[in-house]
Amino acid sequence: MDEKITEASSKDNYRQEPKVGVYVCHCGGNISDIIDVKAVAAALAKYPGVAVAREYAFMCSSNGQDLIAEDIKNLGINRTVVAACSPSLHELTFRNVLQRAGVNPYLHEHINIREQASWVHKADHAGATAKAIKLAQAGVEKVLRKDPLNAIRVAAEPRVAVIGGGVAGMRAALSAAGKGLEAVIIEKAPRLGGKLLELGKMYPSGEEGPAIAGKLEALVRADKKITVHTGADIDFVGGFVGNFKINFKNADGTSSQVKAGAIIMATGYQHYKPAQGEFGYGEDANVVTLPEFISLMKNSPAGRLEYSGKEIKSLALIHCVGSRQVEGIHKPQADGKINDYCSRVCCSSALYAANQVKDKYPGVRIYDVYRDIRTYGMQHEEYYDKASKDGVLFLRHNEADQPVVTSDRTGHTVKVKDVLTWGEELEVKADLIVLVTGMMPADISLIRSQMKMPVGADRFLQEVHLKLRPVEMANSGVFIAGTAQYPMDVPEAMAAAGTAAAKAAILLAEPDIPLEPFVAVVDEHKCTGCGLCPAECSYDGALMMSEKNGKKIAVVNPALCKGCGACVAVCPTRAINVAGWTLDQFDAMVEAIAKE
Amino acid sequence: MRELEKIEVDTLVVGSGIAGLQAALDLADQGYSVAIVEKAPSIGGKMISLSKVFPTLDCASCITTPRMASVSHHPRIKTLTYSTVDAIKREGKTFTASVTRKPRYIDEKECISCKRCEEVCPVYLPDEYEQGLGAKKTISIPFTNAIPQLPVMHPEHCIRCGACARACPKDCIEFLQEPAPVEIKAKAVILATGYETTPMTAKKQYGLGKLPNVISPMAAERLLAPHGPYGRVLRPSDGMVPGSIAYVQCAGSRDKSIGVPYCSRVCCMYAIKQAILLSGSLPIADITIYYMDIRAFGKGYEQFYNNARAMGINFVKAKVARITEDEKHNPILRIERQEGDSAPAEVKHELVVLSQGLLPGCDVSKFNLGAGLNDFGFVQLSDETVSSAVTAGAGVFAAGVVKGPRDIPDSVVDAGSAAMEAASYIRKL
Repeated sequence: MDEKITEASSKDNYRQEPKVGVYVCHCGGNISDIIDVKAVAAALAKYPGVAVAREYAFMCSSNGQDLIAEDIKNLGINRTVVAACSPSLHELTFRNVLQRAGVNPYLHEHINIREQASWVHKADHAGATAKAIKLAQAGVEKVLRKDPLNAIRVAAEPRVAVIGGGVAGMRAALSAAGKGLEAVIIEKAPRLGGKLLELGKMYPSGEEGPAIAGKLEALVRADKKITVHTGADIDFVGGFVGNFKINFKNADGTSSQVKAGAIIMATGYQHYKPAQGEFGYGEDANVVTLPEFISLMKNSPAGRLEYSGKEIKSLALIHCVGSRQVEGIHKPQADGKINDYCSRVCCSSALYAANQVKDKYPGVRIYDVYRDIRTYGMQHEEYYDKASKDGVLFLRHNEADQPVVTSDRTGHTVKVKDVLTWGEELEVKADLIVLVTGMMPADISLIRSQMKMPVGADRFLQEVHLKLRPVEMANSGVFIAGTAQYPMDVPEAMAAAGTAAAKAAILLAEPDIPLEPFVAVVDEHKCTGCGLCPAECSYDGALMMSEKNGKKIAVVNPALCKGCGACVAVCPTRAINVAGWTLDQFDAMVEAIAKE
Repeated sequence: MRELEKIEVDTLVVGSGIAGLQAALDLADQGYSVAIVEKAPSIGGKMISLSKVFPTLDCASCITTPRMASVSHHPRIKTLTYSTVDAIKREGKTFTASVTRKPRYIDEKECISCKRCEEVCPVYLPDEYEQGLGAKKTISIPFTNAIPQLPVMHPEHCIRCGACARACPKDCIEFLQEPAPVEIKAKAVILATGYETTPMTAKKQYGLGKLPNVISPMAAERLLAPHGPYGRVLRPSDGMVPGSIAYVQCAGSRDKSIGVPYCSRVCCMYAIKQAILLSGSLPIADITIYYMDIRAFGKGYEQFYNNARAMGINFVKAKVARITEDEKHNPILRIERQEGDSAPAEVKHELVVLSQGLLPGCDVSKFNLGAGLNDFGFVQLSDETVSSAVTAGAGVFAAGVVKGPRDIPDSVVDAGSAAMEAASYIRKL
């Protein structure tokens, strides 16, 4: 059952003698005001292979549809051409008419005589009519050469593999299980919870990171549909939609495999690690990152903010460390690229932390060195407001004038060219420098290279389309949840993870996954095994050379083929065709149009 | 009143903006039946009227119409447009919504969308879809890519000339049509009622909407849309091509004086987007954005902001204290710069766009569903660190801006998760 590809049974109507019905639509004057639709129908009625040609005011209306269905029933029409609007509007409508009437829905051709004739030749009625006739005749030639097609159905494992057991991974698994799917969480760390396990009090709820993770973990552990593998070191991810395989080593050294119909990538982020010497980091012990500061605060005694046994009376927060970097000003990362993106959550996190300091240790002086304060969330502006009220001193610099941190025996100094005081060079003394570091994607190079997963310029996993398919990857059946895609806070990660689970649930709603039948088909007799086509194929594994009866031939995996036709173009013997769009069909259409 | 129509579905989705559409599709594609109720005559919400969308500059129609078409063709989705949800009652595990279909004054089943009625109607009125910048007929299809393609008649403007009735090839015009009651029974409710922008009249200092060349961002969207009212950018007072355009950021957000202390999240980005589009259509125009903080926090947004700066759009950190106008209706901005020279100054522009914030589109507390609201009327979640859609009302979920301002990518993502929560809830009933 592993990689079985099933074909639904098809009606045998293609064995019958072709009887084409042609239907010309008036489109309520849209077409008939310009084109002589009666002349089109009359011309087509005489065309070879056409059994009946009719015109009607609105073919798409239920009366128009009934007209076709009755011809199928009474006259034995087994292929149809509808000359009307754009196929994007109503091709599906008419395919459904055929289906309902018991004819294979792909034995239909939709000809556009509105956008391509009446609308563009308003001043030339005779010309538009002649063009409509030619287009419809080409449609008849195409439909005569069509074969019945059936959706390719790939049997799918009814299971979702979630890679990463942070909050996004746990939410994705919970949502998938909520829908009744089996979910398997594969987490490399010994515990569930991801980065939250390291964090202290977090906005918006004020709960500690581990407590938030704990709430989700409790739900995960209670759900019988969810299996959890922690301490799992993934060494292989492969397969295709419906049939993925993930191999990993367990903590005890044994190996396991998970088979899944869909994969959710919840691989999360890593904190930006400042370069050696960046604002003194790594050289001066009193320069720490925001996550380090949050844990330090957690461990400080009640009345006194302490670091390495010394009281901290003042601190300076420097924003945008490792984020919003600028070419020529910031040093590139190891891969030669700068982090030019905004890490989204750091402004709110930093001010939330500053407010906690002010609440717990009101005497501590805080300087906030920033470029733009991006407290965009519903309550986040309150953090900014409260910080200002509590006396946090804000210093704003331009990107070109980076603050400079120096240390000597008297302490640490941040030098800022502050635009809020008309570009004055200000120096502030602070006991502790806190670098507000951003997010970078976690290192998942092994999985990425095995699955050829696309990433953006920012190195985060790349969705297909930010608005149309925001959690889907180009790899069919792979979805993204949480900060593997882009920096986000916990509530945002919850939304992304829920949606990733929704997409997986839609994919796996049926026991097998229907795929479009428009895929490449190889004629084994014509194929010479020259091997030109696999080089053109952009979809890994969709087209490969193989041996059959001692002969080298190209073999298509219909589950992976997207029907782009790149292979068709290079085949010297016309051995490959895209089903539904064959070269013979196009030849015949061109002939019909070019005929005097 | 016409006869009561009864519909029974798994989920009721209130609102058909991008969040409502996506939530409905994500449920229906999993096998659940959905009814969408939309108060406007077409589905598509605010997004369908936008020009292009940040940060990719896709045309908004190109992103919205496929979703609208999928919803309208979906065998498991029933769409009620030009309909209002008057009340939702919870009885046990079932919600019963009382919905009114407002009269379009045509026979919706017979209409073939031929527009003959619209062509012959002699009465023009301001087109609210074009933010009043264009005109429409008293009987007309609301806009080109509206779904459904059904005209609406406005009887208050109709002169009863009967031209439409004579032109209609299907005899569809029904001058005496009455509202029709509908009862929808559902197991779960998704609130996706979206937003309204802060009104032009919100701030006295900014002219209360009386300065003709101080316009809303939605009006600017229409001016920039490829199929907009004029097909190009003209300012309202005299039809002149503006040579100097300014954006006033936070004109309706981060402002306690008007009761909107929160950040509306989208205004920085839409202003930058409009500025980029304007510099495309008016290459020699001067474009200035007066801002407090530029909040380009989403994926690809900072890069978008950097592109705008590289294109020569001026970003000035300044508070705009007051807007007046000269005798030619050129808006005059009194500003206080927060960098460089900080002395108050008066700057003249030829067109000003107020970057308005987002307010809740509907007071959902009237449905008494148990979903809590925050201080500003947005839906409060029961625990946003556990789920992004579950409200305190059992079986009531929220998608998109109904929970607080968010942009299109965030709303689309949000909608999927609301659908997923609703699906889990129904499954466990």
